[in-house]
Amino acid sequence: MHGRVKVKSTAQQEEEKRKEREKKLKVYLAARDACFSKRKEGIWDEGALQVTQQLLSSNPDFGTLWNYRRETLMHLETVRDEDEVQKIYEAELSFLESCLKVNPKSYGSWHHRGWVSNRLPRPDWARELGLCDRCLSLDDRNFHCWDYRRVVVKMSGVPVDQELAFTDRLIGSNFSNYSSWHYRSTLLPLLHPESPEEPAPPPRRASSSPPPSPQSRSHRVCEEQLLKEYELVQNAFFTDPNDQSAWFYYRWLLGRAEREEIISCMFVSREEERVSVAFSRAVNSAGLLLVLDGQPQRVEWRSVHPRFKHSPVWICDLAPGTISDVTNEHNLTVHWMEKHTHRDCALYTGRTESWCRDSATDQELFRSDLSVEKTSVLQSELQSCNQLRELEPLNKWCLLTIILLMRALDPLGYEKETLAHFQTLEVSRAKTRPLDAEQEVGSLTSSFSFFLFSPSRQEVDSMRSAYYGDLCSKFMIENTILKMEYAEVRVFSISDKSLTTLCHLDQLLLVTHINLSSNQLHRLPPQFAMLQCLEVLEANNNSIENLEGVYHLPKLEEVLLKNNKISTLADLEPLASCPKLKRLDLRGNPVTQVANVEAELTALLPSVVDLLL
Amino acid sequence: GSSQEESQFEEFEQIDFLGDRHVRFFQRTLQVLPERYASLETTRLTIIFFALSGLDVLDALDVIDRNTMIEWIYSLQVLPTEDQANLSRCGFRGSSHIGIPYSTKGPGVLHPYDSGHVAMTYTGLCSLLILGDDLSRVNKQACLAGLRALQLEDGSFYAVPEGSENDIRFIYCAASICYILDDWSGMDIQKAIEYIRGSLSYDSGFGQGAGRESHGGWTYCAIASLCLMGRLEEALSQRELDRIRRWCIMRQQSGFHGRPNKPVDTCYSFWVGATLELLDVFQYTNFDKNRRFILSTQDRLVGGFAKWPDSHPDPLHAYLGLKVHPALNITQRAFQHVQQLQQTWRGSTGSCSRQH
Repeated sequence: MHGRVKVKSTAQQEEEKRKEREKKLKVYLAARDACFSKRKEGIWDEGALQVTQQLLSSNPDFGTLWNYRRETLMHLETVRDEDEVQKIYEAELSFLESCLKVNPKSYGSWHHRGWVSNRLPRPDWARELGLCDRCLSLDDRNFHCWDYRRVVVKMSGVPVDQELAFTDRLIGSNFSNYSSWHYRSTLLPLLHPESPEEPAPPPRRASSSPPPSPQSRSHRVCEEQLLKEYELVQNAFFTDPNDQSAWFYYRWLLGRAEREEIISCMFVSREEERVSVAFSRAVNSAGLLLVLDGQPQRVEWRSVHPRFKHSPVWICDLAPGTISDVTNEHNLTVHWMEKHTHRDCALYTGRTESWCRDSATDQELFRSDLSVEKTSVLQSELQSCNQLRELEPLNKWCLLTIILLMRALDPLGYEKETLAHFQTLEVSRAKTRPLDAEQEVGSLTSSFSFFLFSPSRQEVDSMRSAYYGDLCSKFMIENTILKMEYAEVRVFSISDKSLTTLCHLDQLLLVTHINLSSNQLHRLPPQFAMLQCLEVLEANNNSIENLEGVYHLPKLEEVLLKNNKISTLADLEPLASCPKLKRLDLRGNPVTQVANVEAELTALLPSVVDLLL
Repeated sequence: GSSQEESQFEEFEQIDFLGDRHVRFFQRTLQVLPERYASLETTRLTIIFFALSGLDVLDALDVIDRNTMIEWIYSLQVLPTEDQANLSRCGFRGSSHIGIPYSTKGPGVLHPYDSGHVAMTYTGLCSLLILGDDLSRVNKQACLAGLRALQLEDGSFYAVPEGSENDIRFIYCAASICYILDDWSGMDIQKAIEYIRGSLSYDSGFGQGAGRESHGGWTYCAIASLCLMGRLEEALSQRELDRIRRWCIMRQQSGFHGRPNKPVDTCYSFWVGATLELLDVFQYTNFDKNRRFILSTQDRLVGGFAKWPDSHPDPLHAYLGLKVHPALNITQRAFQHVQQLQQTWRGSTGSCSRQH
């Protein structure tokens, strides 16, 4: 079905073609019927091979015929001697070569060749590899051929280092051969595994947790070889910085395994008699157990929002009176059965709340996917990339990789440079997003003024500017979390940073005050309900029109949403679920123009005593 | 300068969507296909699906005779024989090329080389839904038995019980069949998930199977299958999902290509675009550039879309240039129809579907 270029033809040529086609059709039908009747009668001889050959030459995707052919060949194996069988199968390989010449992407042909190679009494693997070489020289991206080559290598026991040398040659002659880089990524961990003794594979789990992916530990490469690979890949991206292949491969080299799965935080509140738990990934509540003072508790776990069956944060309520008496000390433990891990939290006398957590720094949460092997290695890589950046200042791959390396080395120290690089990447986003006249002058970010006065700016990758905007937002949020932890406070403040999205909300379970003012947020998504300790929400000067996530926040008292885009009373309904809400600032929102708004809001939100419209 | 702007404007005006031509293109597809499509005879039902769903998207199904079409599709159902000996071979076949006599009702006829094909069962069911059929003549238990017989130990599927290549494409077909029939007894989900995870490549795209090169089509099959199963966030961590998103986002050049350093091709606007939609990040794509590319492959005379500009249009690319429900690859209307059917089925059996 895929791609043939149009060619014009005359009426006469058309007529000739038509006659030819009719002739072909008659022949085809006759052959097909002959085939089926033979097969039905159970005839498996050379005649069968001949008839199917005719048909398959013009239609190699007629699967049933390949199956008939395979039956015939298997039968012939039982009635001919080995030399004859060898000859028959070699003829089969020749036939397949002619099929593949016509259509080098036929699933049927390649599948059959694999089958034949497996049954041939005396296989000639050099011939098979030669076929692959020829096929790849015509189309080095033909994945059917690459897949077949892998099968041949496996069956024939070609040593991995020989295949690695093969990829060396291919990559050496053409750095942008993505398929070669891919093949290399599968060979390298076999030849130079990270751990010299492969650990025994884990027993099959009955649980629902996902099995390790190819990017996990056992598939990684030892450091000595990694350094050699860095050099190879740098040659590639210095030669052609615009080719994706080397950059993706580089990213993989720099990358690292998934982190350990743990219960990252546990929070206990006497007032609500509630336990909130944050996990390192989204889980479902089956397999969570709460133990209080040595007694397992019968509790209902719920996620923060009815939308989520899977959530990184779960909450449960204890029976009234269980922990409300502040003169009592309690010990609580949450067990995550599937991972055989647990977390303890002691609630002391006189304390109304308590928590226990691993900080983001402890978890190395934001090491941004990169290997922690050696800082010196990462620094040397950063240096190389910066060298390239001097030659190619607008190359997006280079900028993205530099950002990645900086975040691995020192996310806070490199924050200014990271922001500058993002500005280069997403320049057209700043240009095209209109300035809202209602927004205060102070909300103009430094990036806007940067562009007003830099007319020579070119677009690096404007097509993906929305993606970069969100990516930059994510990194700024990560940095803010780190700063918050270093300061040992529960206040999360990130204003005037062009934030387009919120993430890592599962890390904000303990936050009491949040300031998101003067950004570009459109909504507070359901995940926002993970901020179970929130008392004050400041989000003035955004474009917020959706408050779904301000939902059942038990301690929330103040919500400041001046100059946003809240337009209907329905938008404010989630707030009714927050029992302690006292103060609400809605000035500068379209909803203030709704008829009778004050009365409606008083009815919707009876706890609010200080309402600004 | 302004003359540059003007010519750009003209270019934009010229690239308009020729709905009527496409309707006629699909109509012709449903009548006679040119010789160069001969090799697709064995998979004819998939071509019918592209044409029918294309007409559905264009809101033009009234140009065909629905009932005749429905009958023809049912004639492709491989039904159980009297003694039910062929249950593991049931499903839908691609066309009449084997020579089974035309029949739309059971019992099935025994023929040693007749069997369902997983992609034909999938597109057959979708085609019936598109035509508004209630699937009451589908032998669901037989289809599911036929499906179970196709799954291998490693979790992947053959296309036919006689054997064929096995990979992630057929997992997608299987998941779609189970989803439509509202019955997951047709497959071992856990094994399928393991195969899918094993197909995740070093660059966070999915290959056809373990160790194979990442590709937009297989990435779609992986993500859409997990979504249909309702297991996306269980099977893949947030980090993995973010990396997959990144790989997919980088596929847009103007339109989309299926693999790095390959030319853009209309069909990947669907395979990759739908994947991004399922991963909730379609807003990261540049809608205008994609639209302009697709329209540049439009055949202004014959209708339909081609893989590339100045190529022959074909039903696959014509269909995938249009907009549909991302996980099942049918229109929203057809999707709502199947949901309503499922409500009826669940209501009448008095219990919810047999899900994991």
